[in-house]
Amino acid sequence: MAEVGADWTAPARLAAPDPASDEGGLWALLEREEQRIRRSPLLMRDRELHDYLHTVACKLGGEHCPDVRVYPIRTPWFNASMAPNGMLQVWSGLLLRVDNEAQLAAILGHEMGHYLQRHTLARLKDARSRSAFATFLMPFGLGGLLGAWAVMASQFSFSRDQEREADRIGLILMRQAGYDPREASQIWSNLLAEASVHPGANVSKTSPMFATHPASAERRETLAQLAGQGGGETFQSEYLTRTGALQRELLEDEIKRAEFDESIVLLDRLVKRSSERADLLYYRAEARRLRAQKDDVDLALADLNAAATMPASPAEVQRSLGFIRQARGDKPAAREAFASYLQAKPDAGDAAMIQSYLRELGS
Amino acid sequence: MKRILILMVSAVLAGCATMAKVDSGQQVVSDRLVVDLDGPWNRFTRGVEVPTWTVEGFTVDRLQFFVAVKDGQPIADRPRGAKEQRPLTFHASMKAHEIVALFEGLYTQDGSTFTLDRIDPVTFVGEPGFRFSYTLIRRGDDVKLSGVGYGAVHTGELTVISYSAPRLGFFPRYQAQIDKMALGARLKSSVAGG
Repeated sequence: MAEVGADWTAPARLAAPDPASDEGGLWALLEREEQRIRRSPLLMRDRELHDYLHTVACKLGGEHCPDVRVYPIRTPWFNASMAPNGMLQVWSGLLLRVDNEAQLAAILGHEMGHYLQRHTLARLKDARSRSAFATFLMPFGLGGLLGAWAVMASQFSFSRDQEREADRIGLILMRQAGYDPREASQIWSNLLAEASVHPGANVSKTSPMFATHPASAERRETLAQLAGQGGGETFQSEYLTRTGALQRELLEDEIKRAEFDESIVLLDRLVKRSSERADLLYYRAEARRLRAQKDDVDLALADLNAAATMPASPAEVQRSLGFIRQARGDKPAAREAFASYLQAKPDAGDAAMIQSYLRELGS
Repeated sequence: MKRILILMVSAVLAGCATMAKVDSGQQVVSDRLVVDLDGPWNRFTRGVEVPTWTVEGFTVDRLQFFVAVKDGQPIADRPRGAKEQRPLTFHASMKAHEIVALFEGLYTQDGSTFTLDRIDPVTFVGEPGFRFSYTLIRRGDDVKLSGVGYGAVHTGELTVISYSAPRLGFFPRYQAQIDKMALGARLKSSVAGG
């Protein structure tokens, strides 16, 4: 495989393959998969989010824009994948973890690199040559249970050369679109920090969070080296504004994973980035309160107390304060916090349960 | 991700796992939990870690019993090969919300999404407990499920019954039966305790 240089230019728009060919068969399967995704309750149907992601993809893809269809998927893991028919999936765990539009562009640019270089077709041919065609298509053969392109894509991971090529193309596309290419390596720094809570483990094999985009120091260093002095913009405020309405759902899903070690590393970073946000303090406090190791509850209490004084403090801050104060035997303060929560959310789905806690606390 | 595929394949294969009929009438689960059944169920005899019953089949509806989980013990093991995932450990001091959070972790570990719809106080196994209802979007096949769970802590041990089924058709068909069974459930004394 010839190395992609700085003079690389994108190919012309890719034509749909002959339906009778191997690639044509693959496209037919992908179209079926795409229909499934369109109907999926996991598809995030927020129009603004969809349009934003599509705009970023088009900035990168240029004349290929009409061939790209973006599907944001509600799954709290870090993943994106682009199928050879132009179906681009972006998982919500990725949206929570990128800090700015340039980082998003780095991932989408990488996926577009695979698409433009038709890496999947190369993998298909390779699989055939190894008499592994049936295995290659097995996920589709198992139908709905396994028929996920992203799963399939990760099962037959691209070669190391293909990954490097996609990284290089991603950087070229970022530069052409005006993004700071240094943000590409920053993503892997962030993921490595999360993965570091499992010292000695190969999380790319054991953790679904990192399985499809394994973070490696080597990859980070190479990307940093290729990015050089950078230039271009990060478009951070644009990214945070355009994804702002979804943050609550993304953070809720993150906490529900109950992988608090990883979540706390993530939330430490997000709080540092956006220290004015009470919601981030609340979710970091939740991760710590539920982990409840060493000084976690003290730290959670500090975050909750800080969040309670901030604008747009979630009502749930008071509920969590109630839990901690009740556990510590501070009944008046617990009562006050639970009552404050109920006042803000009288129709909450847990209102009756909170009322029962208030009865336990007495008057 | 290979692990996920293995899990999914395991789930498919588990559909062929051996099952035994559970007759209507009084039944004892895990030697401790006594329930009265209005109709017959099917019990998985292998391929599942916690006692699991179904009426319609493994990929449709599932009734799980977490019986007398001791302080400091996980409600269920994490999937094999996922040793980096945090154990979902029950502590006797946990409030209902914190116990439900354990189940959120359990039910989302395959990438499914969990939404807690309600949590209400109820008496369960003779203790002040809770009933929670939830919506689950199953990652493997994109099916939207409704679920209901009953839980309580008795002498420091957690017992939870949780049932989920596709929200259209199946869940409404069995919900009343589950509620009746859960509200009538009681615990026998542990063997050690006589």
